Amino acid sequence: MKKTIYILTFFLSSLCIAQNSALFDKGNASYNEGNFQEAITLYENVLNTGMHSSELYFNLANAYYKLNRVAPSIYYYEKAQQLSPNDKDIKNNLSFANNMTIDDIESIPEIGFSKLFKSVINSFSFDMWAVLAVASVLLFVIFFLSYYFSYSTNKKRLLFLSSITSLCFMVLTLTFAFQKYAYEQKDNPAIVFAQESDIKSEPNLRSETAFELHEGTKVQIIESYKKNWTKIKLTDGKTGWIATQDIKAL
Amino acid sequence: MILILGAINDNFKMKSIKYIIIFIIALTTSAVFAQEEVVFEAKVSKKKLGINERFRIDFIMNKDGDNFNPPSFENFTIVGGPSQAINNSWINGVKSFSKTYSYFLAPKKRGKFTITQSSIEINGETYKTLPIKIQITAAVDKPKDPNDPNYIASQNIHLIAEVSKANPYLNEAITVVYKLYISPNTGVETWRELDNPRYNDFWSQNINMKGLKLINSTYKGEDYRYVILRKTVLYPQKTGKLIIEPLTLDVKVQVPTNRRNFFGERQMSIVNRTVAAGNRTINVKPLPEQGKPIDFTGAVGDFNFKVTTNKNELKATEALQAKIQVSGKGNLKLFKLPKLTLPSSLEVYEPEHNEKVSTNLSGMQGNISDSYTIVPSFQGNYPIPSVTFSYFDLTTESYKTIVSKELIVNVTDGPMNGDSNSNKDKAKVSNEKSEVMSISHFASFKTNTNFVAVETTNFFKSKLFWSVLLFPFLAIPLAIFVRRKKDERDGDVVGNRIRKANKLARKYLSEAKKSFGDKETFYNALERALHNYLKSKLSIVTIEFSKDKIQELLNKKTVNNTTVVEFNELLESCELARYTPFSNVEMQQDYDKASRVISALDKQIR
Repeated sequence: MKKTIYILTFFLSSLCIAQNSALFDKGNASYNEGNFQEAITLYENVLNTGMHSSELYFNLANAYYKLNRVAPSIYYYEKAQQLSPNDKDIKNNLSFANNMTIDDIESIPEIGFSKLFKSVINSFSFDMWAVLAVASVLLFVIFFLSYYFSYSTNKKRLLFLSSITSLCFMVLTLTFAFQKYAYEQKDNPAIVFAQESDIKSEPNLRSETAFELHEGTKVQIIESYKKNWTKIKLTDGKTGWIATQDIKAL
Repeated sequence: MILILGAINDNFKMKSIKYIIIFIIALTTSAVFAQEEVVFEAKVSKKKLGINERFRIDFIMNKDGDNFNPPSFENFTIVGGPSQAINNSWINGVKSFSKTYSYFLAPKKRGKFTITQSSIEINGETYKTLPIKIQITAAVDKPKDPNDPNYIASQNIHLIAEVSKANPYLNEAITVVYKLYISPNTGVETWRELDNPRYNDFWSQNINMKGLKLINSTYKGEDYRYVILRKTVLYPQKTGKLIIEPLTLDVKVQVPTNRRNFFGERQMSIVNRTVAAGNRTINVKPLPEQGKPIDFTGAVGDFNFKVTTNKNELKATEALQAKIQVSGKGNLKLFKLPKLTLPSSLEVYEPEHNEKVSTNLSGMQGNISDSYTIVPSFQGNYPIPSVTFSYFDLTTESYKTIVSKELIVNVTDGPMNGDSNSNKDKAKVSNEKSEVMSISHFASFKTNTNFVAVETTNFFKSKLFWSVLLFPFLAIPLAIFVRRKKDERDGDVVGNRIRKANKLARKYLSEAKKSFGDKETFYNALERALHNYLKSKLSIVTIEFSKDKIQELLNKKTVNNTTVVEFNELLESCELARYTPFSNVEMQQDYDKASRVISALDKQIR
């Protein structure tokens, strides 16, 4: 059943792709003429078909930026960055968009080992780490069996060493995969869409306002309460409750 | 005609001549009829007096009598008296006589009292006076002495504070005007302020008066003149009942006296008089809570609000002025201007506050503004978000909110803000190093793309992942097991041979088997296979190939005779098949035979 759905979606999507490319090109044309609002509708039509790409998000964000709409612009740049984390254009334009934000939140820089660790882990997606783990398992088995069946001592020694290395590599990549997966589970960024939003110390309106956030600020979702309230954390470590409709999760 | 008016109170001397003339006429007429009638009456100096005052009662008769019996004066104490006074006068030949008993009385308590009758016997007849009602009131500040210049001054000089509105809203402007009323027959030389009112709970401003102007007016129905001494604008800063403290003046007043100078003009005596305006209570209403905007900072009046910038486009590190301005009428100095919230990436300096406010009787007027100096360090578009300003409109008695337009400042030229998350210092350092990123302008749209489905399935943690990850481990024991089995079989010699022969037969006969059913090719292949087998086994060349030669060779190799015969039979049938029809069954038999022979030969040939 599941397979048929997959196959069906595959065919449908391949059908869509041609249509979407046309929409994308049309959107680009509108953008080039300066009809940013029209370009936005065209780009969003593509999104509605369930297909996306980093370029689509990038162009959409650009169009929003041109209309001086901070929050959606940043939102789609972040989306684009999720799909292609190392794109220079996205980084560049995101910094332009971030210039428009009002809040200045300092991020606590990571140092030393944890920074190194994170940069290594973030170099691949968890799926990629999983593939690497599987590959190293295969390598290990091959090396181990050839070690087992070979007769010359030198060969045996070399093969044993390689098999152990690949086993270690497999354990490492698997850990990384799990770690990366855990990071992604924990990483629930959202963008503040409300022009101004009070961050409360408790999830109700009576409680004290801890601080204020403005449009375009990136926050981390920690938990939510009764759908109306979401607990968020800022990069500088501050936490508080925000009305759920004021933010949009990435 | 001379009048002796000893019995009449001296205080009345000052009353105008008119009264005296009337009095004389009255006296003369009474003198005419004096001979006939006996008059005995009681007269009091005041019928209404304060408890701390005194009064005089006179019992006057025009014929001498005996046995004067005064009333009891129950509620009064006799301060002085009785004193007798006898008046004899001859006017135009008519003799008049009067005898007076006088008492000075002080009241004991407040209330209305009656002085009972007194009696006297004149010519054998008893005469009685009428009872007199006296009202005693609360203590009077000062026993009013009508001839006292101070008293006169107090009656003729009044300081009044006029308040424009007794129940204003909080922060609504009210004015207090101090007027000094002066009656026409008195004059004021100078004054000085003894006590300036401190308007606690008010924001106040005095309006300077340019010169004093005497204006004719009325005060409590009488003709008066007044001077406006001072105007003050007040903005109540607290709700509830607030008291405006009195203004106190020390006034030098000219009071007319009874004395006249040589030329018959009245002499004026100069009196220092302290006048106070009296406390005024104002009930300040709070602003309504209903519909009060969150950003309301207390502005009350009628205002305009705008946010402006002096440039819309500039280069980085150039300065820009953004101005928040409120203009209009109201408590301009008494509320805070809304703050400008700006993108964090802009450098903003403390705003400069400007006030251009003039105060007149209707309140403050003008404008106040905050000027922000902004210096952008990086290029880009910077929004100046809209600012809201709320005030309470007194004419409609409702809150109004003005929202300014959102402005965009375009910084066209300058360095890029490198990493969005890096702090400014870091960015500045990179500026100094003039490290310009490869793209220092806003990148345009991208033209090519590959769409992928938004919904993706993860490989990690899927069933496939786990099976692919763990299956190779299972392969290790499996491989080892397979290897063991193989070794075992290698150890088994007989079995191996059989297997080997079968394998050989399969190898050589595979071609024949392929062409099974086609007689011609089958037997050709079979023959070739048998020859090939022997060639490889016995290492001979085809040319030497004959039946006899084969038999000889095989015998030499100590091959069983039956096998040799069978081999030859096979070769024969191969030759025979070229000329005779062969059935499939026979072909199968020959194939089986061939494989049997080959394996037998393989066993026997060493």
